Amino acid sequence: MRVLASIQSLNLSSPIPHLLLLPKTNPPQTLVKEHDKNKSRQYSSLLLVSHKSRSLVLRSQKRPQNNMSEDTDEMFDDLFDKYGKVVYKRNDQKPAAAEVDDDAESLSFAVALAKVANEVKADDIRVLFVKPLVYWTRFFIIATAFSRPQVDAIGSKIRDLAEKQFKRVATGDYKPNSWTLLDFGDVVVHIFLPPQRALYNLEEFYANATPIELPFENQNQNQFRR
Amino acid sequence: MIQPQTYLNVADNSGARELMCIRIIGASNRRYAHIGDIIVAVIKEAVPNMPLQRSEVIRAVIVRTRKELKRDNGMIIQYDDNAAVVIDQEGNPKGTRVFGAIARELRQLNFTKIVSLAPEVL
Repeated sequence: MRVLASIQSLNLSSPIPHLLLLPKTNPPQTLVKEHDKNKSRQYSSLLLVSHKSRSLVLRSQKRPQNNMSEDTDEMFDDLFDKYGKVVYKRNDQKPAAAEVDDDAESLSFAVALAKVANEVKADDIRVLFVKPLVYWTRFFIIATAFSRPQVDAIGSKIRDLAEKQFKRVATGDYKPNSWTLLDFGDVVVHIFLPPQRALYNLEEFYANATPIELPFENQNQNQFRR
Repeated sequence: MIQPQTYLNVADNSGARELMCIRIIGASNRRYAHIGDIIVAVIKEAVPNMPLQRSEVIRAVIVRTRKELKRDNGMIIQYDDNAAVVIDQEGNPKGTRVFGAIARELRQLNFTKIVSLAPEVL
């Protein structure tokens, strides 16, 4: 949006020839609507050629250093500072500092939930930072329970803690299920029975997510060694 | 707008390929189902050597419709096909992966399991 606004204001104040002389982005519609196969093939090849030539022209008109990705942003920022004004801004975007704060908050929340799950003897607890992969949540907690009563115990403990300490309410299953899911918005808790955990294999699906180290993992290993 | 007799594609790896809606869960005599609604369907075509067979009656959640989905902010989403994900009585998906893009409205309707198996959420 900012970029667009800066370009528009530029055009008004000091028109730059190569910006105005750009060919139309959309090919004329009559060409696309042709039903004759041969004709449309010809046209498509023609269109392709014209697309190529257009991109070539654009690149040649760029500045001699072909360092596009970094330069353009700074360039547009400068131009925006000089000539631009904000026409429309989305409300839901937060500054980077606020994002980091939110991440830290949900991380502490996730780790607290994982600790509770560990207290109720959930096995193989994983906390994954999935924010880079999916936009709709930040952390996944994946845990295994060995029976439905245990699933129920873990679920209710987590719900209690979230409500008392963090004042958050989960949506999701209230009945123990072979795959019980608690959705706290930025943290999503999955409690599986062992066969379901192997079946759905969420860790593999989110293999690119960064695993978070949990404070109690080392203690458990030490206990087993003793 | 899914109604009884509508054919739907299957957007997961449960083994069914094509479904026919036979009933919409909800109020009695409900006419149409939209994204996020549960339907009762019959499997019209199935992949061989998979647990689900042809002519089995199952439940499914609609995840894509050709009828456009309108959001409050003015965004309109229209898919190219009608598609559903097969679920069991508990609401767990029968397949382990969901294919194609899925709308985020499913999460508000408590189908976060389907959303977390999907490769892309719109």
